[in-house]
Amino acid sequence: MTTSQEGSAKAGETVLVVEDDILLRLSIAAYLRDCGYRVIEAADADEAVLVLEQPDLEVDILFSDVEMPGAMDGFGLAQWTRANRPGLDIILAGSVPRAVNAAATLCEEGTVPKPYEPQAVHDRIRRLLAARPPRPPKDAPSKD
Amino acid sequence: MTTEQSLLAVVAENALERPTVLLVEDEVLIRLMLADELRSQGLQVLEASNADEALTVLQSSLPVHLLFTDIRMPGRMDGVALAKVAHARFPQIKSIIGSSGRPEQSIDFADAFLAKPYDLRELADQVRRLLDRLEHDH
Repeated sequence: MTTSQEGSAKAGETVLVVEDDILLRLSIAAYLRDCGYRVIEAADADEAVLVLEQPDLEVDILFSDVEMPGAMDGFGLAQWTRANRPGLDIILAGSVPRAVNAAATLCEEGTVPKPYEPQAVHDRIRRLLAARPPRPPKDAPSKD
Repeated sequence: MTTEQSLLAVVAENALERPTVLLVEDEVLIRLMLADELRSQGLQVLEASNADEALTVLQSSLPVHLLFTDIRMPGRMDGVALAKVAHARFPQIKSIIGSSGRPEQSIDFADAFLAKPYDLRELADQVRRLLDRLEHDH
C-alpha cells in the first residue's frame, strides 16, 4: 500500500514572487513562507528572468504582479517563462485583492494551512499601502 | 492564528520571535544567497532591492533590528546615505555596510563593514554579534 502524500504534496515547493511594491512583496513572501513554501523574491521582471535563467535554482510557481515598471510587465514575463521554463505554474495577480486571494489559495494548498481570512489580509495590506510614501508618476524621468 | 490576523501581522509577529534583518542589495542572486544564509540562522529577512524600498520598510510599522546594505546601488541614494538616514532616524537599528572596496566616505556611524565577495560565515558571525549586543543593550 502506498502512502498518500496528497496532503503534503507541496512540501518544499518554491514560489518566485515578482512584485514591485516592497510592502506587498515582503508580506506575500512571509505569508507563503509561513505556509511552508520556499520563496524567492524579485522586485521586477528583470530580476525574475535572472533567477529563472539559473538552471540550479528550482522554481515551481511563478507568482507575478501584472503591472510592473521596466521593459517587461507580468504578461511579458509569463510569456518569457512559458518559452524558457515550461512546466512552471504561473499565477498573475492584477490587483492587490487578486494577489491576496491567490496567496491565500496557495496557502490553503501548502503544507501548513492556516485559517487566514483573505478579506482581513486584503484590508491590512490596503491600509499599509495607503500609508506608504507617494510613488512618483510612471512617466517621471529617472532619478539616476 | 485567528482570522483577524493578516499578512503584515505575519511579519510583525515573526519579528517578536526572530530578530529581523533588512537586507538591501540590488543584485538579486547575491541578495538571495545572503537572505538564504540569514534565514538558515533563524532570522527573519526583509529583502529590499534598493534604498527607496528600504526606506519604505523603515517608515512602515514593521520592526527592524539590523540593516545590512550594499553601498553601490542604482537610484537616488546609495547604501552609505541609506545607512546614515537609518542611523539618524532609527538609532536603535544596528547596521552593517557591505562593499567591494572600502568606501571613500566615512562610515564611522555604521556598526560593521563587510567586504565583497561576501564570506557567508563572516556575515553570519557579524550579524549574530550585533544582535547579541542589541539584546545586551536592552
